Formats: sequence, structure tokens, C-alpha cells
Amino acid sequence: MSNAIIEQLNSAVAAAEEKLKAATSENDIENVRIEMNGRKGIIPALSKEMKNVPPEQRKDTGIAFNDAKNKLQEFLDAAVDRIAGSSDSSGECDIDLTLPGRKWQSGRKHPISTVMDDCVSIFRRMGFIVVDGPEIEDVYHNFDALNTPADHPSRDPGDTFYFGDGRLLRTQTSPVQIRTMENNDPPIRIVAPGRTFRRDTPDATHSMNFHQIEGLYIDRNVSLGDLKSALLYFAHEMFGPKVGIRMRPHFFPFTEPSVEVDFSCIMCEGKGCRICKNSGWLEIAGAGMVDPNVLKNVGYDPDEWSGYAWGMGIERIAMLRYRINDIRFLYENDVRFLEQF
Amino acid sequence: MNLSYNWLAEYIDLSGYTPGELAEKLTMAGIEVEAMEESALVPEGVVVAKILERAPHPDADKLSVCKVFDGKDNLQIVCGAPNCDAGKTVPLATIGTVFINADGSEFKIKKGKLRGVESMGMLCSSDELGLDGDHSGLLELDDKLEAGTPLRQIFAGDVAYELEITPNRPDWLSHWGVARDLACLIKREAKMPKIGKLIAAPASAPAGLVSVEAPELCPRYTARVIRNVKVQDSPEWLKERLLSIGLRPINNIVDITNFVLHELGHPLHAFDLDKLAGQKIIVRSAAEGEKFVALDGSELKLAGRHLVIADAEKAVALAGVMGGLDSGVTEGTVNILLESATFQPSGIRSTSRELNMRSDSSYRFERGTDWDMVETASDRATDLILQLAGGELVTPLVDVNTGRPRFEKVICRFDRIRSLIGADIDNEEILRILSSLRLEVSELDDRQCYVTPPLFRLDIEREADLAEEIARIHGLDAIPVPPVKSVLGGMRKDDSYYKNQELRDQLIALGFYECTHYSMVSEESALKDTAFNGDDLVRIGNPLSLELACMRPSLTGEMLATVERNISRQNTDLKLFELGRVFCANKDMYPEERHELCVVLSGRKHPERFSAERGELYDFYDLKGVIESLFEQRRVQSFSFRKSKDGKFDYCAEIVVNGRVCGHAGLVNKAYTKGFKTKNPVFMAVIQADMLMNMKAPKTLLQQLSQFPSTTRDVAFVAPDTLLHSEVMDFIVKAKLKFLEKVELFDIFRDDSLGSGKKSMAYTLTFRNPERTLTDKEVNSSFDKLRENLAKNLGVELR
Repeated sequence: MSNAIIEQLNSAVAAAEEKLKAATSENDIENVRIEMNGRKGIIPALSKEMKNVPPEQRKDTGIAFNDAKNKLQEFLDAAVDRIAGSSDSSGECDIDLTLPGRKWQSGRKHPISTVMDDCVSIFRRMGFIVVDGPEIEDVYHNFDALNTPADHPSRDPGDTFYFGDGRLLRTQTSPVQIRTMENNDPPIRIVAPGRTFRRDTPDATHSMNFHQIEGLYIDRNVSLGDLKSALLYFAHEMFGPKVGIRMRPHFFPFTEPSVEVDFSCIMCEGKGCRICKNSGWLEIAGAGMVDPNVLKNVGYDPDEWSGYAWGMGIERIAMLRYRINDIRFLYENDVRFLEQF
Repeated sequence: MNLSYNWLAEYIDLSGYTPGELAEKLTMAGIEVEAMEESALVPEGVVVAKILERAPHPDADKLSVCKVFDGKDNLQIVCGAPNCDAGKTVPLATIGTVFINADGSEFKIKKGKLRGVESMGMLCSSDELGLDGDHSGLLELDDKLEAGTPLRQIFAGDVAYELEITPNRPDWLSHWGVARDLACLIKREAKMPKIGKLIAAPASAPAGLVSVEAPELCPRYTARVIRNVKVQDSPEWLKERLLSIGLRPINNIVDITNFVLHELGHPLHAFDLDKLAGQKIIVRSAAEGEKFVALDGSELKLAGRHLVIADAEKAVALAGVMGGLDSGVTEGTVNILLESATFQPSGIRSTSRELNMRSDSSYRFERGTDWDMVETASDRATDLILQLAGGELVTPLVDVNTGRPRFEKVICRFDRIRSLIGADIDNEEILRILSSLRLEVSELDDRQCYVTPPLFRLDIEREADLAEEIARIHGLDAIPVPPVKSVLGGMRKDDSYYKNQELRDQLIALGFYECTHYSMVSEESALKDTAFNGDDLVRIGNPLSLELACMRPSLTGEMLATVERNISRQNTDLKLFELGRVFCANKDMYPEERHELCVVLSGRKHPERFSAERGELYDFYDLKGVIESLFEQRRVQSFSFRKSKDGKFDYCAEIVVNGRVCGHAGLVNKAYTKGFKTKNPVFMAVIQADMLMNMKAPKTLLQQLSQFPSTTRDVAFVAPDTLLHSEVMDFIVKAKLKFLEKVELFDIFRDDSLGSGKKSMAYTLTFRNPERTLTDKEVNSSFDKLRENLAKNLGVELR
């Protein structure tokens, strides 16, 4: 059974087949698809004629529509395969692969944050909890409770910023230790990262605000040896497994025994260079066993508990790590500086 | 403090320790060597020589030909110095001597000819030997020196160390003090200098020579009178000692007091007795307004809190700090009174700091001195004065004191010491260390002992102080490294850093560069954020400068300064943020300290891309999108941007979350940006970061994915410019179309063809029935109704 619609369908499909055989691009194929089966294409147009087909022919005409659609799809698929195959086999590419990619510019972390985040994550791994405290402190938490003598030079208004009400800008992150111990029973295992202030006129190596991270571990039978192992682990994580540490006796009011901790120079691996002034060592941390007076001040029994504390400067580590020769660059925020990290 | 290697070697045998090894030893024992300077060592091969004859050079006016005896042979030497006269004793660099030039290169003396005349070495000036002194000619040596003596025996090299002595160890502030500590470190004996027996001529002192009116500030004052001294230059050895640590020799008496200070650590002062009115010493508080002219010429007006050494009439020294100009020893001095005393440290410290007078004496007295050394130092200085300046000692030691103190004994539990240090140091070793440090051990048993520190150890009061000493001498390097003690690190909610880090990381992932600014700003910068006025600022009482006088109330001011700085440096494409602490004095507004987030966008969006995208500039919606994505990451849905006014913006939105204003975002006030070297607009958001960081994300529950296709319909219309997107959205939402899944704006534009005050808006509506495939009919009926209602109720013209 045949009618005008079926004939038109068949010839349109045949014409489409020819065109698809000749097609050289996906675009050509898409054009054929639209011509045939698009919203205004031949097949939808013919299907509108369906209402004029006598009822007895409708079934066959319907089948013819289905056949035509199926054939068309076959030809389309074949053409797509042919073109895909041909571009594979030719191995040629006509786009300029050397044009720059459309970059999704990623942001940059400030070097102070990078170093601080690194420090925090290393100590977190040892089980230290990160705690925080106010930057505007009282004299008690910043000095008295930390066993600082009443006439200690660090209390001098030439060295510390004071507010009219007798409070001050913390000169160290240590008041966070006191606040934590006041509010918690031992054992305590914390790090306190944060901003600190000293009344230094800014120059290449001084800044009136800078960053520190400080650690405190109070438990039964904590020793200088434990301090050494924690900082050695830190040194290896931060600067690599070749870095060694040494402790030198020192003095701080809030620790006894007190030590300064040197890391073997990260530039010359201890051989001696300009950065370490030929000593092979870099002074990185101040540390020691928490002074019994500090423990007493927060109500801990120094005969039962002992602990270590350490502190280090983030800017110093950042400057060593990236060889930044002027601390002020860190606060200038020139994007040409920031984008390097 | 400065320390000389050679001087130190007077008190302890340093053989086997090079200056470098000694520095290492000291540093590791807590006596930190900050710098080390080697004074030139005369090169080997330079010897004492005698000039026997001098003749003019046949071919050169300025040269002479000398015959020189080097102890073995007579040599011919050509010399250019004016003073190479026969009979003089001079240094000779023999053949083969190697000089090191200042630049490190070497210069070797060879047999050679100078203008045709053979020369067998070089006669040297002090300059050529690296020594101080006259450079104009040959160094003239003592004629008594034997020819052939190596010059190194006469001019030994030395090493000067610059030490950082921690404030708890004043007992290290002298050569003897360092030697005493070194003795236990290197297990050798430290020997005190020998002091001759002092016998006073008449056995009694004049009555009332010394009276102390303030014994609490001056617990011990001693004096000696020495008559008929001869004030003159010090001998070479003494000058050399002082020069080796950077002190200038003055005269023998003054030099001796300085020498003893640096030898034994105890400050002394010598008065010219004849200049003391009434020839007596009164230690008293200064009278209010009392005038005093110090040795360095500074004129001071004193107060009652200052302690002075006075004669019958006036202050002659600021006790423990500095002597007076008129009472010191000069060339004309004949009779002296030698003071050796101790003063209360805090009194000296406050006086010295208040009057800004610092000296080697005040440095030691404010840290604390050794009671017993008062007498020893006086003995030592007296002995040296009698030796070097002659004179007669006419008084025994006049000693006014409050009684020798005794330090408390300290318990030393051996297990506790081991536990604090973390090293298995046995009892014997602990006891060895204690006794080598001259600490007195008593009541010893297997578990513990008591330790009484000597009077020079002002730092030992507790068991922890003993642990420090034992760890220090045992060696911190010798402490074993146990495995890291690690425990569970608590809950993340207790980790205050975490939220901060999370927010920073999100912004960095969005492409922002993180900035860090100072916490201190000028008032002008502070008030750039117009939300604050002068009363809201936290002001520093003692700022470094007016530029740094306020704690920042907002990140705005410094961030805008950074934007301007970058633009002036041609960095015009900016995507910056800072997350930092800000301060507010007005408790009704904000807590004193809080976190703020400041975000800035300006310039090109994609400067690194090519074609059309390259020129695209940031606009307000880029900034808004950043904030929206921060909310999205926290799954906050109920936020809105409301029209608002804020002086730092030309136009801005307040960001409202759950009914609370969480910040502002907008175009930065042109008044702030008008000086910037760019025409690009600057967009900024200032957000209360604590609110943002503490937002609790609602629970996320899976929504089942529909298996059925969605279908979309687009609606476009021309609307008056005043119609807001939110009005359209609200209208559509309120219409509650069945199966409507989402509505998205896909186009908006203004065009002349639309007429003025008009814009075209186009939305895509997506419909889906989760249970079956939607039919066109179902969608069309509700969609057509919506179109109709939009036109009717919003007054838009459908397209």
C-alpha cells in the first residue's frame, strides 16, 4: 500500500541518506537532522498531513513513519560513526593546542597563614587542641601569672603597648596558656596561634605586630626529653627529615629549666652559610619546663604535675622558608608578592 | 658582656680548646656567644731584630739599606721607613713569612731586589703586623728584647667574645665567673688570682669614716683609704687587658677598678679622698631636688627615692650607678678612698632606668652581686693599687653591713630531677654536678638531699632551678629523645582555629588573594569605615606614632590603602580578602574583639584569558555571587540583600541572614577612590565573620532523584526598569504552579528598541512530575495562565 505521504517520506529519507553519505562534519549531519526531523522539518510537516489520510491507510502510513524515522536514525548514526572514525584515523588536529587555557585562577594563601596552618596541622596530629584568647589582655595574664618580675624590662611602656585602663596588647601568646589552665584541669595539651605585639619601630626585621604559635603540655611525668621529641617531630614535618635540633640553656621567667631550641640550618643543612651566620644553626623556639610558680598561680600542684611550653615566631619561619628579606613585605600586600606563594 | 680568651685563660687551663671550641662549649652551657672577633695574630716568622747600620740606597732617595741582626745572622734589608736608624730594635719579617691581607689574599716575603739592591726580608710597621699604634714608621720595640725572639711571644693574638648573659646569671658577668662555671663543664680547676696580704699601717680607721643611713638599700658598704698613691699610666699588661674587651685605659687607679670589675664581677669606685668634704662617706637618700653632676657630665636633679653616696656636704656618687664629676680620681689625686659595696637590685634598676644612666656597675648591681665578693674585690684592687701606684694602706677594711645573708636550702629529690629532665642521670652524677657548682649538699640519703647555694648563686630557690643546673652541666644534647607522646586531640568543635581556616580556604578556592594588615592604624584610616566614630575606637595609650594610634575598628581603611597601593603599582586586577580581628570600644555596637571579613573586587575578571573575556570587568553581581557562595557552602538559605545606606559605599546592600544584618556589600564611595589611578570601579564587602563562621548548616537529607524527564518553558517580557527581579520571582512562587521545579533568570537587557525606562527580562521555568512524565497539556495550561497573570498583575508586555 502506498500513498503520496509515504512516497514523499521515502524520497526524503533517500535524499537524506545521500546527503549524509556526503557529509564531512558533525555540522552537516546536524543540518540533515534538522531538515528532516527538526521542529519545522519534513517528517513533522508530513505527520500533520496524517489527518487527511483515509482511515484504512492510516496503519500503514504510521508504520511508514516509524520506518522512516528508524532509517533516518540509522543513517545519522552511520554518518556520525564515519566522521568520528575518519578524524581518529587522520590523527590531525586543527586547533592551536598552545593557546593558553581558560584558567580558573586560584587564590593565594598569605605566607603567614601558610606557615601558621602548617604548624597547627603538625601539632594537631600530635593531639594538641587549638585554643584562642583575647589580644587585649590584662597585666595579670600577660605578665604576673607568667612569673614575670614586677620590674622586668618587658613590662616597660617602652616595650609594651598599654591602654588607658591599664590593660595591654599581649606581648606573647602565653596568656592563653594561663586562661586555659585556669579553666581546665590537667592534663592539658594545647597550641595557641595568634597575633602578638611589641613596641618595636618597624624596620626590615622588626614589626610591632607579629604572629606566634605557642604550645603547652601538662601531665604527670612530662620531661625535657618529651619537649625535645615533640619539637624534633615538628622540625622533621616542617623542614624535612634531615633537620636536627639542639637545645641550649637559656632563661625565661615562665619556664625552669629554660632552653632555646635551634634547628640545623635549613639552607646549608648545618654546614654553615650566610643565613645561619656560619653557625649551622638557626634559633627557632624558646621553650622549657613550666615554672612551678606558674603552675601554682593557676592552682596546679607542681609536685604532681609538670609540663613543657614552647613558643616560636611565624614571621621568622616564613622569612627563612621563603627567604623574605624584609618583614614589612608581609604586611604590604602587593599582589606580585602574594601571587608567589 | 665582652670576654677575652687570653684573660680567661689566667684562671683556668684552656689548653686543648680552640677559641671556636670554647665558644661552642659556652653556648651549649647557656653562656651564649653572640659574636667572636679574633684580634690579629702576628704572622709566624716575624722576629725581634737589631738594626746595626743604616746607609742610603744608591738609586733611591727614600730607601735605606740596613744591616740587621736577627739573632743568628747579619742580613741586608732594604727599608723605606724614615726611622730605620742604627741601634733600634724593630720587627723583622724573615724570608718565608706569610702575611694575610685584609681581603684574605696571601703575601709571602721572598728574597728579592729593590732597585737593584738585594733585600733579605722586611722590617715592619705596627700597621703591617695588624697591631694598633703609630703607622708612620717601623714599630719600635723595647731595646731589652733579645734579637731572634718570635714576635708572637710579645704580641699574642687574642679572641674577644661577645656574650649574651641571661638576667638570672649575674655570676657570669666576669672572667672569673665564667671560669668558675667552665670548671665544672670541662672538669678542670678554676684558680682565683693570688692576692697579697694587706697590712694597714695604723691599725684603726678614722672614726665615722662611713655611715649608712639607708641599710635596706645598701646592705653592705666597705671602704679603704690608701694614701700617697702615684696616679699614672697603667702598665702595658693592664692596658692590654682592658683594650681586649673594648675598654679605654685612663689611669692606673681607674683602670684597676675597671679591671677588677671585669675580673671578679664586682663594681668598685675610687674617690679622691681630698675632694670629699669632711673626708667621710654617708650613704643616704638624696634630698628632694638635690643636684648632682655625674662623671659623664650629665647634670641630674635627684629625688628622695634615689640613693646617693655623699660626703659631709653633697652627693658625690649616684650609688651603684655612676660616680661624680668632681670626686673622681685625676692625675693630681694623692689619697684615695676605695668603695666596695652591695646595693639593693631593684633600687639600682629603677634609678638607672628613670635617670637613663647606665654603666657597667649598674648593669651588675641591678642583677644582683655576691655579698662575699665585696671584700675580695676590695682586697684585689687594693693589692693592685699598692703594686702599681704605690702608696700606703692606712685603714683596715671599714665594713658597715646588715649581717651576712644565708640562702635557704632547697630540696633535691633525685627521682623528681630525673623525671623533669627525662634522662637517667644517677645519684652520683647529680651529686658530682652539685658539688662542682660549689653548691653545699646536706642531709643526703638514697632518695634526696638538701642543697644550699653559695652567695653568688642568686638564681637557685627551687628544685626546678636545680634540675636546670643538672640538665645544663649533664648536657641537653645528652637527653635521649623518647617517642612522641600523642593522645587524642579533642573535638573539632573545640578547635577555634578550624572555622577560621575553613573560611579562608573557601575564599582562596574562589580565587581570592589573602592579605594581612597591621592591627594598628591611624584615626583617619580607622574612620574610613563610617559605621564608627571617634568614641568607638580603642586607642593605645603609648602608640609608636599617630599613624599607629588606634586599634583597627574595621578592615576597611587598610584594605583600601592596599587597593590604592596596588593600583599605583599597576596591579589593577584585584581579588583580595582579609580575615582578621578588629576592635571596638563601644560595647553596645560590638564586642571588644571580633573577626571581620573584608572582600574586594576590582578590575578585570579574567586578565589571564584571551578574546572577549579578557576585557570583562567585575561588577556588583560578581561580589554578590561570592557572598552567596559562602552562604551556599554553609547551606544557609534564608539570606537577602537589602538596599541600604553606608558612608563607605556609593550604593550598597546590607546582607541579612535570619533577620540579622551580617554585613554590607557595594560600590566603594567615589570619594575614597577618586585619587586611584584607575577608572575601574572598586567593589567591597565587609562581613561580620563570627556570624558567618558560626552559622549552623541545616541537616542535609537526600532528595530522591526523579526518573522522569523535566520539561521547560521560557517566558520573556518587557518590563519597566523599576520592576525588581525579586518581585517577579515572588510573583511566580506565589502562583504555586503545579510541578514547577525551578525558575531561572536567563537574560536581561536594555535597548533603545525597548524604549526608555524599559528592560527585557527572560525566565526559564522547569517543570517535573516525580511520578510520571508530564504531558504538554498539563504544563501548558498552568504556564499560559501564569503568562496571562504576569501581564495583568505586573504590567509587563509579553514578548
